[in-house]
Amino acid sequence: MAYSVLIVDDSPVMRSFIRRVMILSGFEVGECLEAANGEEALARLRDHGRIDVMLTDINMPKMNGEELLEQLGNDGLLRTVPALVISTDATKERILRMISLGAEGYMTKPFSPEALREELERILGERNAGRA
Amino acid sequence: MPEELEQFCAAESPGELAPVLDEVVAEVLATMFFADTEPAPCDHVWLDSAVSARLGFEGTHFGEALLSVSRPAAESAAAAFLGLDEKETTEMERCQVILELANILCGAVLSRLWPEAKLTLSAPIPDASHTDLEGALHRCFSMPEGNLACWIRLGGAKL
Repeated sequence: MAYSVLIVDDSPVMRSFIRRVMILSGFEVGECLEAANGEEALARLRDHGRIDVMLTDINMPKMNGEELLEQLGNDGLLRTVPALVISTDATKERILRMISLGAEGYMTKPFSPEALREELERILGERNAGRA
Repeated sequence: MPEELEQFCAAESPGELAPVLDEVVAEVLATMFFADTEPAPCDHVWLDSAVSARLGFEGTHFGEALLSVSRPAAESAAAAFLGLDEKETTEMERCQVILELANILCGAVLSRLWPEAKLTLSAPIPDASHTDLEGALHRCFSMPEGNLACWIRLGGAKL
């Protein structure tokens, strides 16, 4: 099964890296959308209608990752989109904060392609199991 | 000094920062840039033409970090990060990749040193000045295509 993925990061090179390593790792990417901040991410999610998983940074202009997750949590439809946070911040406070806002996974940089694939498969596997 | 800061100051000596920085540089470059690095003696002849980035951090700790990468190494790192041939990378892409590398290195070092801390990193900016680094921990590394140098300074004026 190929998944539709949304990558949210204000760094274009980081978005490019994540897209590339997802594919390199063997994760089945069907469609890959990008957004440079939370505002753009919300627009992509609403326009597309079926994003399987969102990978998001935290520190971004206009709307950061925390604000994005808060907005998703308040949206009856978008709250079902699983979010994987990818950040340089590995402090406990931040990790707990993002999980409390609904993130289903949290990865810190640096990360290997294999680790990214495993985390994505874990999140989506749990989702698919929940729907069965 | 507030008590919560005093307990964090115990780990601020260069002797304790250096092994963490060495470990983080090796891990980040290997994992995300597919490059091997080793600590190396300082040789700063290449700094004037290097691609450099500076960022600050604040919260329970504050300070700043500076990263410089020799131009050939920056070209190689950008190509590896983006999955392109070196000749395909633009100057802007190389700069953006080094900014991202600085962000990743600084965040990883700080998180590893102080996992209980509350920290915010500023957006990295290009900065080749190599000024205001008095008292900073400094390490040089060799890479297959060139050199990398890091400075981390704790305390001082916020950016």
